[in-house]
Amino acid sequence: MAEVTVYTTSTCPWCTRLKDFLRAEGVSFNEVDVGKDPTAAKRMVELTGQRSVPVTTIGDQIIIGYDPDGIKELLG
Amino acid sequence: MTGELYDLIIIGAGPAGMTAAVYCLRKGLRTMVLSKDIGGQANWTTLVENYMGFMEISGPELMQRFEDQLKKEKANLVNDEAVDLVQHGGAFTVKGKTTGEHRGRAVIVATGKRPKKLGVQGEEQFKGKGVSYCSTCDAPLFRETAVAVVGGGNSGVQAVLDLLANQARQIFLVTNQELTADQVLVKQIIDHPKVRLYLHSQVTEIHGEQMITAVSVQSQKTGLKEQLPVEGVFVEIGLEPNSEFLQVLRKNNLGEVVIDCECRTNLPGVFAAGDVTNIPEKQIIVACGEGAKAAIKAWEYLTHSGERKVEAE
Repeated sequence: MAEVTVYTTSTCPWCTRLKDFLRAEGVSFNEVDVGKDPTAAKRMVELTGQRSVPVTTIGDQIIIGYDPDGIKELLG
Repeated sequence: MTGELYDLIIIGAGPAGMTAAVYCLRKGLRTMVLSKDIGGQANWTTLVENYMGFMEISGPELMQRFEDQLKKEKANLVNDEAVDLVQHGGAFTVKGKTTGEHRGRAVIVATGKRPKKLGVQGEEQFKGKGVSYCSTCDAPLFRETAVAVVGGGNSGVQAVLDLLANQARQIFLVTNQELTADQVLVKQIIDHPKVRLYLHSQVTEIHGEQMITAVSVQSQKTGLKEQLPVEGVFVEIGLEPNSEFLQVLRKNNLGEVVIDCECRTNLPGVFAAGDVTNIPEKQIIVACGEGAKAAIKAWEYLTHSGERKVEAE
């Protein structure tokens, strides 16, 4: 399975919901808190073209926002 | 069109819709919940401290508990956005954007509200690329940058405070009137060296290439335009109801569905609850109460005594 990374901030309610969804689906993921790590924030913007969270990368695919259907589709 | 005729279709799965659904399912009504998301606006709330039974709980966590309760009652939850509601004889057809038509003998509308947009050039183009409607989510991404906040109410001033807490370099607060936020909030920003106020002004355009680089602001008093170099624009100008598709229902000048004290709309058999309605208090606990009321009234309508009652009026 492709690696799943979720870019979050600690105060983002949609990020919390997204992580809960992934856990409920049994999907392993890495979390990057871009609010605490400016370097990671810059990397996220360069990688995804987004300055907003949550952003999820599944392999080289990018899902913007809280989009469980989009994630399910990419994960098959 | 799906073949089944439901007793009730509930449109929306925020606090009002989910509460209504639990009540209807416990009454034994064949119920469908049609919603593009679960939790609605309550998901945007970082901390809820006034929902009884919980000293404090995050909005998403509270909505997760609602969803668990809904699923315990074995709700038929369809993930789709309603785009039309029409009456056919004694029943109603609700059209989903991707799932087609669904039929019910009664309907509860609980579609809530969404953030208002500015409607200026550049807003859509730079959404997620500097334009944000969620300061609690995105403020940490604007450390050491200049940003604009649009809106002088509580949510606008709260966005300024969120940005200050996350070390934004400079904040331009733009509002088309005076600040209308609570004094306890205004006091925290009014003389802050990082905050510059643009009262009686409006944003006219958002500029950039890949990301936002500037915003144009015009004074309503002098007509003077100024371009402010910013990397972010936080839009906090209030909410608007998700009611455009409800052509058959009477709405007020804000677009809210008009209901009476029994959650009845102008169309017998269609009820409404929560923030999409003209009920003034927009609170999670009020929405739940209204959802419960709408469910009970819909159940009464669907029983013989309920139909008789409606016909008698």
